[in-house]
Amino acid sequence: MIGFVSRRLATALVQLVGLALVVFFAIRLLPADPVARLVGLNASRDAYLTAQRSLGLDRPVAEQFGSYLGVLPGSSGLLQGDFGRSWVTGDPVAQEIGRVLPITLELITVSFVLAFLVSVPLGMICAIRPGGAADRATFAYSLFAGSQPEFWWGLLFIFVFFAELGWAPAPLGRLDPMSTPPAVVTGFITVDSLLAGNMAAFRDGVHHLMLPVLTKVFVLSGPIVKMVRQNMVRVMASDYVLFAQASGLTPGRIARIALKNALAPALTLLGVLYGYILGGAVLIETVFSLGGIGSYAVRSVLAFDYPAIQAVVLVIAAVSLLVYLVLDLLHAALDPRLVG
Amino acid sequence: MRFKGLAAAALAALPLLAPPAAGQGTQLLYLAEDVPAGLDYDGPAVTVNTSQVGFINMMDTLVDYPIAGENDEGIRRLDFSRFEGRLAESWDYDAATLTWTFRLRQGVKSCAGNTFTADDVIYTLARGKSVSGTAPINWFLGSLASIAGFDRGVFTGGSRELGDAVEKVDDHTIRIRQSASNNLFLTVLTVYSMAPFDSVEMRKNATPEDPWSHTYANTVNAAGFGPYCLERWVKGDEFVLRANPDYYRGRPQIDRVVIKRVPQSANRALTLRSGQAQLTQRLTAREFEQLSRARGVRVAGIFGNETLLMGLNWRTPPFDNPKLRQAIALAMPLQQLSRIGYAGQARPWEAHFTEVLNGYVRPEAQYPQNLDRARQLLAEAGYPGGRGLEAFPDALRLSFTAERESYLGPLATAIQSALRDIGVPIQLDPLPQTQFADRRMVKKDLPMSLSDTEKPVGPDVVYATRLFFVSPQAGGVNNITNYSNPELDRLFGEAQTEPDPARRAPLVNQIQQIVQRDLAWIPLLETRTQWAFSDRLSGLTWHPDNSLRLFELRLAP
Repeated sequence: MIGFVSRRLATALVQLVGLALVVFFAIRLLPADPVARLVGLNASRDAYLTAQRSLGLDRPVAEQFGSYLGVLPGSSGLLQGDFGRSWVTGDPVAQEIGRVLPITLELITVSFVLAFLVSVPLGMICAIRPGGAADRATFAYSLFAGSQPEFWWGLLFIFVFFAELGWAPAPLGRLDPMSTPPAVVTGFITVDSLLAGNMAAFRDGVHHLMLPVLTKVFVLSGPIVKMVRQNMVRVMASDYVLFAQASGLTPGRIARIALKNALAPALTLLGVLYGYILGGAVLIETVFSLGGIGSYAVRSVLAFDYPAIQAVVLVIAAVSLLVYLVLDLLHAALDPRLVG
Repeated sequence: MRFKGLAAAALAALPLLAPPAAGQGTQLLYLAEDVPAGLDYDGPAVTVNTSQVGFINMMDTLVDYPIAGENDEGIRRLDFSRFEGRLAESWDYDAATLTWTFRLRQGVKSCAGNTFTADDVIYTLARGKSVSGTAPINWFLGSLASIAGFDRGVFTGGSRELGDAVEKVDDHTIRIRQSASNNLFLTVLTVYSMAPFDSVEMRKNATPEDPWSHTYANTVNAAGFGPYCLERWVKGDEFVLRANPDYYRGRPQIDRVVIKRVPQSANRALTLRSGQAQLTQRLTAREFEQLSRARGVRVAGIFGNETLLMGLNWRTPPFDNPKLRQAIALAMPLQQLSRIGYAGQARPWEAHFTEVLNGYVRPEAQYPQNLDRARQLLAEAGYPGGRGLEAFPDALRLSFTAERESYLGPLATAIQSALRDIGVPIQLDPLPQTQFADRRMVKKDLPMSLSDTEKPVGPDVVYATRLFFVSPQAGGVNNITNYSNPELDRLFGEAQTEPDPARRAPLVNQIQQIVQRDLAWIPLLETRTQWAFSDRLSGLTWHPDNSLRLFELRLAP
């Protein structure tokens, strides 16, 4: 198992290095000028040149790359674990990502866990009686939920649960803006408020998480239910299930055996969706005013904030690779043949 | 039955999750599309309006304008023809030596508790002249005001030291020398990037690599002598200000202001309507219109300096042809543009300057839509029915920023359609913001452009003239259309140095007549600067930077 994990980590590292190279040069190929964006539309040419010099953009690209990697004498770069400073805010990019990443991770991790907990039993119920009422209802729901973009559902839920019913808080981020947030330890509001023993902040945090999570679970569950259902139907028709039935095993025991095999593709789907949603979280973050990594990525791209873009791509890729690694481990636990 | 039980349990649990009620009394929740990204006015975020709100409310300038009453919607206006002291109590000018003497206010305390002195002004100007920031705006303004030594020499090996241009007479008296007579001096001093820093606090946070504390100012705190102090700042999320109890004009009425980033305008509108927030802006025309009918909410605005214009590049044929420019101006469907982009709330712009600017006059040359006259002028220009224009396919491309396609796109399409009606075929060319800015500002090679970002923060016709219409040889700064007219350059030079207001007025008048006659650009619409706010909130005042002064606001219980 250790060899398996080491091989996967080594592959991930090579992928990250390749990605760092591609991103660095790709953003410099874009036909745009970050300096003009920074100094504004009404700046003088002198101001422009000063800004260009202060950002280091007057240096040859090879020198900029060396500085980015941290191989030039006196420079601090990726090798030193330094992503540089944002050109827009002047803050260290690592610090900014440390602030925004937990917001998105908390939202989508909670959503994925809940979606999984809802979808697996639902998929199993559908698979037990394909074409039954539950199956038809679930089919209609997954078609319905998947047919609209999630920001639209988010806006609709805000309208219904905040504006009309008053059950949900105003979509103003992770906490009531007039309250005092708990001290930052992990960046996850729920965890930090519990660590601080601040139950009011915990309740507020959960309350503010309610609608974004509902939106995510609502949209995410559709494909997961379908995947679990399809696999369960396939597995339930397989020879070994027939054999188990013939051997007189209880339906519960058979379902457990079948589920183990049906889960593997659903887990793969989850992994793919996780990375995809992490990078594309901007829609849900915008709707609920959550300043997460998705919004940060878009802001960085629009501002041509090169250090931030480079770091965001690497971090999202690293998180995705980590999720894939965890899934591989889970797969290996479900199917020990994979370790070999 | 079981579902009903679950639903009832879930509903019963909701009150447990409900947060405490939003702040009342003297706390204000201000919903913005973003919060400040940086607080250094010589830093990278200075051009972003949402960043300006931060340092503008934490710092104060030497002089500003007095309030001049309010418009019929209750928005207060300033009198741009007069100045009143802020951190400076009084001043005088010696024309013989081109020297201004300022007597500074005594007993002014910063948020850090430091006392305001002449050293703070000297530090601020020395920092500006060092051009060490990412965007040297303080130096730029100093050069607009002709402060001695604030010239392009700083970029070509000249001294970056302040030298004797600024002299400390005593702790509360300072002299600033100009290199030439320039009436824009006080106008420039009202701009946010001339606000003095708290030099003691700034020096405390200097490092050998960053002796002027740009990183500190940009990422930690704008140390100044303003009415509000920073309480909390989470970039990309929220910005919390607390009243400076020692503010020299009196403690602000609103104790605490939370500026919260809510990027979706629909959510800003919804939250304001719910009563949980008291102030917001930059909504769509439709949202403003809906909010104006909501209970407890007011919508008010003013025609300030926000406009929509089309730039035609004077160096790009066929736009060097004056009759073609006039034909295009006469073809513009201004009412339609107002309806499409601004729900009918914008008005035709009848000049190259907005009405609020000091020295404004309505020019005689006017270009109301007249398609017959436009076709006639097109023929006189040598392109009857548009024939001959096919030789300029690269020039007949209307550019605008692609990021704002949602509202600039329909406007551009309406312009395209109107020009087609008189026989001028144009293509639309949305460009990424960065590319648009680069080509317009640096390369200056955009043949046609649609934009709404020309907002002079110095509210004076002469200031705006230097910014937009004077040729680079005569000191022009941001002449985006390469307009060049020696007669205008001469008039500008005279108007800038003429001390007698009575003799200056006709010069300023002529400037406005000339750019309108020449169509330095095609003015389209004047648009409203608007806010939606709780009916308990009052005191909203329009400033040329389009940022509210929180100190001026009053929130009734």
